[in-house]
Formats: sequence, C-alpha cells, structure tokens
Amino acid sequence: MLTVSHVTKVFPGGKGIFDVSFTVEKGEVFGFLGPNGAGKSTTIRHIMGFMKPEKGYVRIKDYDTWKDQGQFQKQIGYLPGEIAFMEGMTGRSFLDFMSSLRGGVNQQRRAELVKRLQFDDRTPIRKMSKGMKQKVGIVAAFMHEPEVIILDEPTSGLDPLMQKVFIELVLEEKAKGTTFLMSSHSFPEIERTCDRAAIIKDGRIIAVKNIHELQAVQRKLFEVTFENEADRDAFLGSGLKIDSFKDKQVRVSVQGDYDRFTQEAAKYRIRSIDVFTLNLEDIFMDYYDREGRD
Amino acid sequence: MNMPLYGQMLKNHMRTMTSYAFGSAFYILLMFWIYPSMATQSESLNALIESMPEGLGKAFGLENGFGSIDAFISGEYYGLLFVLILSIFSIMTSTQLMARLVDQGSMGYLLSAPTTRIKVAVTQAAVLLTGLLMITLVTTLAGYGGYAWFIGNLSDFDSNGFLLLNLGAFLLFFAVCGLSFLISAVSNDEKKALGIAGIVVFGFFSLNLVGKISDQLSWMQHISLFSLFNPAGIVKGTVSWTPVVIILLAIGMAGFIAGITIFRKRSLLL
Ligand SMILES: Nc1ncnc2c1ncn2[C@@H]1O[C@H](COP(=O)(O)OP(=O)(O)OP(=O)(O)O)[C@@H](O)[C@H]1O
Ligand SMILES: [Mg+2]
Repeated sequence: MLTVSHVTKVFPGGKGIFDVSFTVEKGEVFGFLGPNGAGKSTTIRHIMGFMKPEKGYVRIKDYDTWKDQGQFQKQIGYLPGEIAFMEGMTGRSFLDFMSSLRGGVNQQRRAELVKRLQFDDRTPIRKMSKGMKQKVGIVAAFMHEPEVIILDEPTSGLDPLMQKVFIELVLEEKAKGTTFLMSSHSFPEIERTCDRAAIIKDGRIIAVKNIHELQAVQRKLFEVTFENEADRDAFLGSGLKIDSFKDKQVRVSVQGDYDRFTQEAAKYRIRSIDVFTLNLEDIFMDYYDREGRD
Repeated sequence: MNMPLYGQMLKNHMRTMTSYAFGSAFYILLMFWIYPSMATQSESLNALIESMPEGLGKAFGLENGFGSIDAFISGEYYGLLFVLILSIFSIMTSTQLMARLVDQGSMGYLLSAPTTRIKVAVTQAAVLLTGLLMITLVTTLAGYGGYAWFIGNLSDFDSNGFLLLNLGAFLLFFAVCGLSFLISAVSNDEKKALGIAGIVVFGFFSLNLVGKISDQLSWMQHISLFSLFNPAGIVKGTVSWTPVVIILLAIGMAGFIAGITIFRKRSLLL
C-alpha cells in the first residue's frame, strides 16, 4: 500500500534522513518511532510529496508521491506534526473549506467525529488551545474516509481521555481496513494500536519489527521501595539486573522476564512499586546499542 | 484553477482588496474635488512649476501643468499616488498568497488535498490579478464619478485618455505582480519574500524617479519597468503602445510562469 524506498535527504549541516526504507501493507497500522529530531517528520514530508527525495522514492498504491501529484491525495488523510491553519477561520469554516477542496465529504461522518472529539467548531482557530487545534486536524484527516491515513504525532496535545478516544477511532478504522502510518516518540502510545513499527534514529532506520517482538525486547524499569534495608541487600543479590539503588529503593531493569521479577520481589516486604518512564533509547537499548557498535 | 481555493482565497483577501480599491477611489475623488480650486490659480501654479528645475516637475508628473483636468489627474494621481498604492498591493498580496502559506505551513493542507501544485499556484496568481483588476476598475469608475460630480458633463471628458491611463497602470502592475509573485513562489520565508519584493519594486520605482529628475542619470529610468508607464505621455498621446504592451505582458507572463514552474519543482519545508 505504501512503500518508502531508499529515501535520502541531507540538509545543509549534515542532518537529514538516510536510505530510509519500509513498507506498510493494506489494513496495517504502522508505527514510526523515534526521539526528537530523528527524522520522522522529514520522512512524512517525503511521503506526502512536499519534499523531493535526493535518492529513492515513495509509492502509495501505484502513485509516486513526488511525480504523481494530485492523484494520490484523494485516498489520503494527513495530520501534520505542526498544525498551521489559514488565518481568520473557525474550526467549522476550515473543515468546510477542506471538504470543498476534497469535492465534498459525508457530513454525517464529519459531525460524528466532531461530536466524539468534543470540541466547539465555531471557535476561531486562533483562539483554540493546542489540543483543540489537534482535534480539528484529526477530523480533517479522518472525515473523508480515506484508505490511508498519515498522522505525525497525532496525540500530542490531547489529554488522556481524548487519547483514548483517538485510539478507539484508529481501531475502528483499522477494522474497516484503513491503513495507518503514525509517528510518535513514545512506545506505550503506539503499542496499543500498531501492528508493526519502525524505529528511526539520527535519520536512519534501525529496526522494523512486529509490535510483539518490540514488546518482548522492551525494557521496563521498576522502582521497588522496601520496608527494610536488609531486604534490599538480599534483593540486590538475587541476580536480577539492577539499574541503580539508593536507601531503601532499587531500580530493576526487566526485559520480558516479569515472572522472575515478581517471584523475587514477593520474597520481601515491599512498600511500593512504580514503573519508571523511560525514553525510547532506554526502552530499546538493544537496538540503539547495536547501532552504536556498528 | 481550483475553484474552492479561489473562492476561499478571495474571501480571505476581500477585506484588504476592497480597502485598497476604496482607498484609491477616495483619493481620485479627492483629486477631482480639489481640481476646480487649483484650476482658478492654474496660471500662478504653472508659473511656479516653470520656475522649478525641469527634472523635478517631470519626476512628479507636473510637465503638463494644471491647465486641464486630464493633465492634473495624470500627473498627480496616476503619476504618483496610484503607482504607490498598487506597488504596495502587489508586494503585500503576492507575499501573502504564496510565501506566507509556505512559511506558516498551511500550504501543507492545500497540497494534501487532491490538487496539483500547478493548480494551487495558478489559482493564487488568479487571486492576485483579480485584486489588481478590481482596484483598477473601482478607480476607473470613481474617476468617471468624480468628473461627473465635481467637474461637469461627462460628454466633455477625455474618456479615451482616461481609460488608457488605467490600462497602462494595469499593464505595468501586471508585470510588477508577475515579478513579486515569482519572488514569493520561490521563498520559504515570508519576511524575506516581502523584503526582496520590496527592494525590487521600490528599486525600480526609485530608478525611474531619479532618472527623471537628473539629466546625467536619465539612463536609470530606461532600466526601470516604471518608465513604461508614462501618464503624461499617455494623456498627450505621445506613447507608442505596441512595445509597451508587449514588454509589460511578456515580463508579467514570464514572472508568473517561472513562479508556477519553480513552485512545482521545489522541495517545500512544510
Ligand atoms: N529545513 C531544514 N534544514 C536543516 N535541517 C533540518 C531541516 N528540517 C529538519 N532538519 C533537521 O533534520 C532532523 C530531523 O528533523 P525532523 O523534523 O524530521 O525530526 P522529527 O523526528 O520529526 O522530530 P520531532 O519528534 O521533534 O518532531 C533534525 O535534526 C532537524 O533539525
Ligand atoms: Mg516531527
């Protein structure tokens, strides 16, 4: 459905994307993971045909997105990473405008989306909060029921409740056979919806994996607080991978082996256990380290 | 052309375009209104102009004097004010129609819809020219109105000369719009586009002015587009139109076509 093939773009200064390749199958939800500045938006700009690849090409269905402008967009929904609307519009007039550019959309569908995302489309966009603008952008990307939806950091600015609504929306569309590509810098955010994901770092793809494989290799850091310091010392000797410790607290790094962790921890009196939020590099240290060694 | 885009853009810009048009109409009416009181003193005014250095009078379109309303309007309004209004309109509007949308990123939405860049650019150019046409038309109508209201019977009005003045101004600004559209279409940065278009347009404007004032520097006006619009000459009937029309249309077309083609082929940072 969507093929990114050896796409390269080097900006003055040496940053950019290098030999980026991956394929998204029909009906698949594909995650595009990377830390800030990794090249996610740059890749998506190439997918949308905004930038000309120095090398390589992007195909959606049978269209080259750089050469065949105007033809592939009919079946595409797009949410930009940094949303910019034209001045002086309300949410409603913007959506009206986008509908007319698309030659009309199903009004019922559009109204339903607005209702589910819960925003007032009569508000001037200039006065909207970041999350509200994001919602307008999401409606614009979904309302014409496209075959492929490309979303650059779709949940940024959405509160947890709306993130949940968004995820439901994606899953519903997926059930109808819609193909998705969505970028994110947080693994937990995409693991609920995606089938596969690519991890990008410094402009290079370092892994394209099934989400279950990624879940299996992801590291989690648990912060365990013991009642007694003696227990802590015993725990430190249990052979689990210890990240760090301080006073009665120990941070344990767990990769897939949750059973062993719970069995060891169950031997002692524990005051609390927290999951420590990790950034992408730390979650997928395996991939990032391998890249570093190459 | 993309009609929904054309409609939306006209709507977005209608307010400023009508301000330019009515501003211009207001000024030309003012000119017709003050003319009778100037005309009663036209002899002393003409003497005053004659006492001025020749170049200065020419530069500000005073060479035909204040003897007739056509001379007055061609010199005072079409020689300076109207040219300034249209220069500002061309620079501002062309920048807003292309460079601003790219700079802000809203162009991304237009290009994610099923349309081509060529259609988007052609539509934006059409919006720019619609504005230019509207301002010129409203000014022309206001001119007729002003004559009928303040001067006398329209049947005495040199309608031909007046229409040619407006045609000449439209052609000059077709060319100027072509150039500023080209600058806007190749820019990623709105402020830069505005700055460069400003320098080019007012550069040409100043070259023409300086060239007229100073005999030694008279070569300057020959490299300026603005010398192709000579209101005093139009009213006197001394302008040879063929080369003027061809050059101005060619420059304008070249600007629009180059702008559209380059916009089609360049990488956009959206
Ligand atoms: N026009 C440009 N000129 C020079 N460098 C650029 C340009 N656009 C992007 N870059 C650089 O390319 C790299 C990739 O940027 P990109 O916006 O694709 O990152 P991203 O993965 O989307 O990050 P984020 O998560 O912050 O959105 C960054 O280092 C950025 O500074
Ligand atoms: Mg980004």
